Amino acid sequence: MLEQGKIDAKQAIMLMVSMVLPTAILTVPAITVQYARQDAWLSVVLATLAGLLIAWLVASLSLRFPGKNLFELTEEILGKVPGKVIGLLYIWWFLHTNALIMDEFGGFLCVAIMPDTPHIIFFLVGAIVAGYAVRNGLEVLSRYNQLFLPFILGLLFVVFLLAAKDMKAARLLPVFDAGLIPIVKGSAVPASWLGEIVIFTMIIPYLNKPKQAIRVAALATLFTGSFLMVSILVALAVFGPNLTGHWVFPTFNAIRVISIANFLERLESVLIAAWMFGGFAKLGVFYYAAVLGSAQWLGLKDYRPLVAPVGLILVGLAFLCPNIVNLLHFIASGWPPYAIIVFEAGLPLLLLVVAMARGKGGKAVD
Amino acid sequence: MINFIKPLRAVLLGRGKGKGRGSNPPAASKPEDVGLLSPAWKDQVLSPNLETNLRQIKAILNNCSDVIYREFVFAQNEQIRLALIYTDGLASKGQISDQIMRALSLEVPMVVSCQEITKARAMEFIKQRGLCIHQINETGKLQDTIQAILSGDTVLLVDGHATAIINGARGWEARSITDPESEPTVRGSRESFVETIRVNTSLIRRRIKSPNLKIEALKLGEVTDTEVVIAYIEGIVNDKLVAEVKSRLERIKVDAILESGYIEELIEDNPWSPFPTVNHTEKPDRLVAMLLEGRVGIIVDGTPFALTVPNLFVEYLQAPEDYYERFLFTSAVRLTRFLAMIISLTLPGLYVAVTSFHFELLPTTLLLSIAAQREAVPFPVFVGVMIMEITFEILREAGIRLPRPIGQAVSIVGALVIGEAAIRAGLVAASTVIVVAMTGIASFTFAYSASIAFRLLRFALTILSAAFGLFGLISGLAIIGIHLCTLRSFGVPYLSPIAPTTGVDLKDVIFRAPWWAMLSRPRLIVRKDQKRQEQGLKPAPPETRPKK
Repeated sequence: MLEQGKIDAKQAIMLMVSMVLPTAILTVPAITVQYARQDAWLSVVLATLAGLLIAWLVASLSLRFPGKNLFELTEEILGKVPGKVIGLLYIWWFLHTNALIMDEFGGFLCVAIMPDTPHIIFFLVGAIVAGYAVRNGLEVLSRYNQLFLPFILGLLFVVFLLAAKDMKAARLLPVFDAGLIPIVKGSAVPASWLGEIVIFTMIIPYLNKPKQAIRVAALATLFTGSFLMVSILVALAVFGPNLTGHWVFPTFNAIRVISIANFLERLESVLIAAWMFGGFAKLGVFYYAAVLGSAQWLGLKDYRPLVAPVGLILVGLAFLCPNIVNLLHFIASGWPPYAIIVFEAGLPLLLLVVAMARGKGGKAVD
Repeated sequence: MINFIKPLRAVLLGRGKGKGRGSNPPAASKPEDVGLLSPAWKDQVLSPNLETNLRQIKAILNNCSDVIYREFVFAQNEQIRLALIYTDGLASKGQISDQIMRALSLEVPMVVSCQEITKARAMEFIKQRGLCIHQINETGKLQDTIQAILSGDTVLLVDGHATAIINGARGWEARSITDPESEPTVRGSRESFVETIRVNTSLIRRRIKSPNLKIEALKLGEVTDTEVVIAYIEGIVNDKLVAEVKSRLERIKVDAILESGYIEELIEDNPWSPFPTVNHTEKPDRLVAMLLEGRVGIIVDGTPFALTVPNLFVEYLQAPEDYYERFLFTSAVRLTRFLAMIISLTLPGLYVAVTSFHFELLPTTLLLSIAAQREAVPFPVFVGVMIMEITFEILREAGIRLPRPIGQAVSIVGALVIGEAAIRAGLVAASTVIVVAMTGIASFTFAYSASIAFRLLRFALTILSAAFGLFGLISGLAIIGIHLCTLRSFGVPYLSPIAPTTGVDLKDVIFRAPWWAMLSRPRLIVRKDQKRQEQGLKPAPPETRPKK
């Protein structure tokens, strides 16, 4: 096997949370609120349900082929050539998604703390830090994540509590004002983020107890969904739907307005500092999937030689969107169908159906 | 260029040339080196003739003016000639004259009639009844004899016998047991290890009176022949760990071991890391506590610093006193230490990043006062911080190197002159001095060996902060975090029990659980017998009170 390490269920959950949350709490609230207004949090509930479905789908697909990750099981189900084609598509998707994340990461840092710094610095340093973790393997990546994630989430939670002074529950009313359609529309973006759990198929073989895969995926999705919901609720309760929809990073702004006793203020910088650790972890997970997938696709014995070239490709791809507004527009409109329909639900479902029809793999564990 | 780099790489990475592309002959066909490291007389044996033996030993130990040869006869019997060889200053002269010479030449004839003892029986008789020495050994090998003489033992040669009796009559001037200078404590044992290995092992044995405490000896250093001891508690320690320690020690082939630091660098898991993955202590009680947690101790003759492996990062937050003081207070102190650790690593970087890039993070009044201080200062903040940091490092180094009485003066002059005058002269801002002083003091709160690593990394982080602001600082910290995650010490992840998290072992990281709740030993170090104590030891007032 390319990866020698083993991680436990806790580490896997944390990794899956880090894979979605860091950029999700930044960009998802604004987009969702634009569609669903004050009901955006209901959209997240819906999206979480969809995410759970996808999580179940990918975990049960993976469990039919113990010890095999996405690339290996695709080849086993569809045969060599079609498997390679699908594999190539996934490599592209991992790379593209990672480039988008990198772009968001750099764009946000540029807007939030360092407006004069060229994007390439953020991209390069991000790629170097994440690449260093990836090069050292899954174990190190998940330990790094385990080291910082509790700290980041704890800090976020405290900061949300501090924002309570500025919140008004009335801003969440009326519920269901415009009916179900806007809520469903709004749920597309969060669902596409939660659906990134499809990457879990790359990691399940390296769980020390792979049988827990479904539980891990479900717990991670539930946790991420609820945290996302809380961050949307905070932004909505602080600003109301109009303002929230117009900010680029509403959660960030909600934290910015906190001012307690003229002393606890400018907390956003502390949070950005902490958030960067999460950003590196998120970059790392996709980076890892892309590198491991490419190595498998090319039939290499070691994935480490690919870390540097893939990193360079990522930095290049991160320049696809000319600016952050353009990027957010793509994430809001182009991204969800492309991600959900093809990579997160479509292909895994196809694979599962074909595997069942051809009777390949063991029985799915319930 | 390439030609230059290759051998350098080979030397640095410890790879032999034979592995490379070159067509060198295989290592096995090389003749074995004959030199200082493996003497020509290595495998020779003693002869039955006393004169031959003496001549041989004198030839080997020529120009060693501290070796003394004393020839005399056994029990006034001219037939049986004896010779004593020992190193002056290492052997106990009183014991030699009283319990060896006096006994053999004067006292034995008072008890038995010695004329009937033949040359052939003399050896047996001397060993059984003649010598009044508590410990004797025998050897027939020349090398062992030489080694015994140079280690402080007294060698007795008997004419007509090809064996030497090694008398354990050692006695040399040694430093007495003093307070631990590098690990002072308010509460707890005041004993510290010394340079003599036997004293050190006795300090351990006195604390663990269990047959399971094993103290295995070996010798390292081809020239110095230094005694090294591996201590562990059988039943608690992981057997694979002991085997691993032994195999790593056995592959050491160097000329000298003068301090345990030599061994530390030769057995580390990651020699390039700034972080030490082998811990050391000079407190016997700390070493014993480490052994009880399943670690292996390595004690080296000639130094009061014993090594312990495996080493976890959290050990640097733990002081021996933590386990003697009350747990709530200890936990608060550990939190302080942790905070100081973060300060000592990041404060200068944070200061540079905030004052050069992110003014908005500071409260307005503070920003104004910093700006006012900096008005007269010609350099950017980064330069000011570097000047002060380097000054501080120089002062610290001077404080250690200078003779004690002058050291005091240097620290006073340094603090006054550098601190006060530098500000007045407009060289640096007052806030810079505060930041650097704070950082320096913070780095003294936790274990010294970790603070060295932090000192190095602090400079890197300051430079990163000056280049990329907060983003540079956090990126640097993330790299350090990832690096710490990659480290292992003898197979145990360096950052455990934090990452990977082992829930029960978090009881002794920042929060120190009370003793009645320390139910298990560290899970990743001790693999088998993890139970430390019985449950339900929490003290409580008696349930049935006397009725009035």
